[in-house]
Amino acid sequence: MDDKKVILEVKDLSITFGSGKKTFTAVKNVNFNVFEGETFAIVGESGSGKTTIGRAIVRINPLSSGEIIYDDKKISGKLSKEMDQWVIKNIQMVFQDPAASLNERATIDYIISEGLYNFKLYKNEEDRKAKVDQALSDVGLLPEHKSRYPHEFSGGQRQRVGIARAMIMEPKLLIADEPISALDVSIRAQVLNLLKKFQKERNLTVVFVAHDLSVVRFISDRIAVIHKGRIVELAETEELFNNSLHPYTKSLLSAVPLPDPEIEKSKELIVYDESVHDYSVDKPSFHEIKPGHFIWANQAELEKYRLELK
Amino acid sequence: MSDNKFTFVQLEESASEHIASPQYSYWKSVFRKFFSSKLAIFMLIVAFSVLLIAFIQPIFSKYNPTIMPHINDRTMKYIRPNATYWFGTDDVGNSLFDAVWAGTKNSLIISLIATAITTVLGVIVGMFWGYSKKMDQIMIQIYNVFANIPFTLLVMVLMYTFGQGMAQLIFALSVTSWLGTAYFIRVQVMIIRDREYNLASRCLGTPTHRILKQNVLPYLVSVIVTAISRDVPLFISYEVFLSFIGVGLSQKEASLGGMIQKYSVYLQSASYLFWIPVCISAFISVSFYIVGQTLADASDPRTHMV
Repeated sequence: MDDKKVILEVKDLSITFGSGKKTFTAVKNVNFNVFEGETFAIVGESGSGKTTIGRAIVRINPLSSGEIIYDDKKISGKLSKEMDQWVIKNIQMVFQDPAASLNERATIDYIISEGLYNFKLYKNEEDRKAKVDQALSDVGLLPEHKSRYPHEFSGGQRQRVGIARAMIMEPKLLIADEPISALDVSIRAQVLNLLKKFQKERNLTVVFVAHDLSVVRFISDRIAVIHKGRIVELAETEELFNNSLHPYTKSLLSAVPLPDPEIEKSKELIVYDESVHDYSVDKPSFHEIKPGHFIWANQAELEKYRLELK
Repeated sequence: MSDNKFTFVQLEESASEHIASPQYSYWKSVFRKFFSSKLAIFMLIVAFSVLLIAFIQPIFSKYNPTIMPHINDRTMKYIRPNATYWFGTDDVGNSLFDAVWAGTKNSLIISLIATAITTVLGVIVGMFWGYSKKMDQIMIQIYNVFANIPFTLLVMVLMYTFGQGMAQLIFALSVTSWLGTAYFIRVQVMIIRDREYNLASRCLGTPTHRILKQNVLPYLVSVIVTAISRDVPLFISYEVFLSFIGVGLSQKEASLGGMIQKYSVYLQSASYLFWIPVCISAFISVSFYIVGQTLADASDPRTHMV
C-alpha cells in the first residue's frame, strides 16, 4: 500500500447547505485518500452525501470546512487563475443523468470541443476536428455524429458523449457520479468497460460514486461506505465484502440481490438500526482497525470489531 | 432443423451506432412549424403588406401635415371614401390615404427601433443579471426603484425635458422599457441557470460569456421572440397613446396617434376620419402579435417533435 502515490487527499471535509436554522449538513468530517491509478468507490443510499463529495472535488459545491489536496496542492477554497485551470485540466467529471448534463441545443461537435475551446488545446481547426473524431471513436461513436444533437441519441450513447467530453481534456482524475444509474441495464456494462479501458490505457484514477454494490465490486479497488454524510467503513473491495464490520455495511451488503432465486428466497436481510451505537459517553472516531481497513467506531465497538476480525 | 443450418455472423458494432433519422436543423424546423399555420401565413402577408405600403407609399405622396394646398377649397373637405380618395379627405382637404400611411410609417419606425434597442439591451443585461448572483443583489434594488415610478410620468418628464420629436420619443420609450425586458429575461435565465449541463460547462472551465452564448441564449430564443412580438404592438399603442395625450410626436409630424387624437372630434360627423387610423393601428398590432406568437411557438424545440 505504501508504495502507491496518494493523488487525492480529502481532509475533514464538511459541507453544509442553507444558513441559520435551516442549516443542513450533507457531509461530515470525511477523510480519505485516493491512490494514483486506482478506482475508489463511494457507496451509500440516496441522500447520504456521496454526490456532494464528488461535486466538492470538482468544486461545484463549496466546502464549509476541511480541505481537498490534489497532487500535493490544495485545490479547495480560492485559487489563482493558473491553479484553477490546472485543476480543471486534471480533474474532470462524468455526470449522473446523460439527458440533463448535455446541452440539448448544441451539436455533439461543440459539446465535445467545449473543453478544447476553453483552453485552446488545439493547434488549428484540423487538429481540433481530428481530436474530436478520435474522442468519438475512443468511446465507440462515429464521426458522422458530430452534427447531431443530444436528443437524437440513446441513453448509453449520450453517456458516452459525456465521457468523451471529459476524456478529451486528458484528465488524471475522473469523478464518475453514478454514471450508469440512469442507464438501461443492458448497456451499463458497455459504459463500465469503457471506463476500465480508459483506466488501463491512460493510468486514469477514478472516483466512482454509486449505490449499486455489485457494480462497485466489479469496478473498484477500494470502497468507502457512507451513511448520512459520514464514512462508516473504508476498505479494499474484497476485504469489505468478506470482512465487513460496521452494521450499516453489513445491512447494505445483505441487500445486494443474488442471481439465484433459491438462495435469494432464503436470504436474510439485515436491517440497520442506528440505536445499536451508544455514543453518549464514548465518542466515536475514524480508526484503522487493520492496515487499509478503516471504521467509524468508539473504543468499546473497536474491541468488539477486533474480536470479530479474528 | 439442425445446427448446421445456422452460421455465426459477425456483429458490426459501428452499424448499431448509426442514426437513421434525417439531420435535424433547428431553424429549418422552426420555419416548417411556422408555415404549417395558415393563420400565421395570412397574418404575415398582412404585416408584410402593411410594412411595404407604409414605407413605399409616403415616398410618392410626399405627405406633410403642415402643407395644406386645399385648405380654402370647400369642395375638397370631408369627402367620404370613394374611388379617387380611398380613405376620403380630412378637415383641410388632404387625402386621408396619404396621411394614414405617412403616420403608419412613423409609428412603425418608432416601434421597431425602440423594440430593437429594448430587446438588445434587455437581453444582454438580463442574461448577466440572471446568471450572476452578485449582480442580482444590486440590480434587483435598482429595478425595484424604477419599476415603481409610473411609466407615463417618466415618459412625460423625459419628453418635456428633451422636447418633442421622433428621436426623443424613441429614447424615452427605450429608456423606460429595457429594464422590464431585462427583468423578464433574468427570470428565464434563473430557471435554467443551475441545470446540470451548465454545471458540466463550468466543470470544463467555460467562461461565463460563452456559457451565456452557447448554453443560455439558445434556450431563450422562444421567449425573446415572445417579448419582441409583445413589444412591437405595445410600442405602437404607446406612441398612439402618448401622441393622443399630447406628449408624443408634434402635430408637424404625421403619426397614427396624433391623427387619432386630431380626428377624434369628428367621431359623430365624419367618423371614417377616426375609425380608419384606429383600424390600421389595430391591424398592425394584431398581425404583428399573431406572427410573433406563432414564431415563438415554432422556435420552441418541444413543438418540433412530430
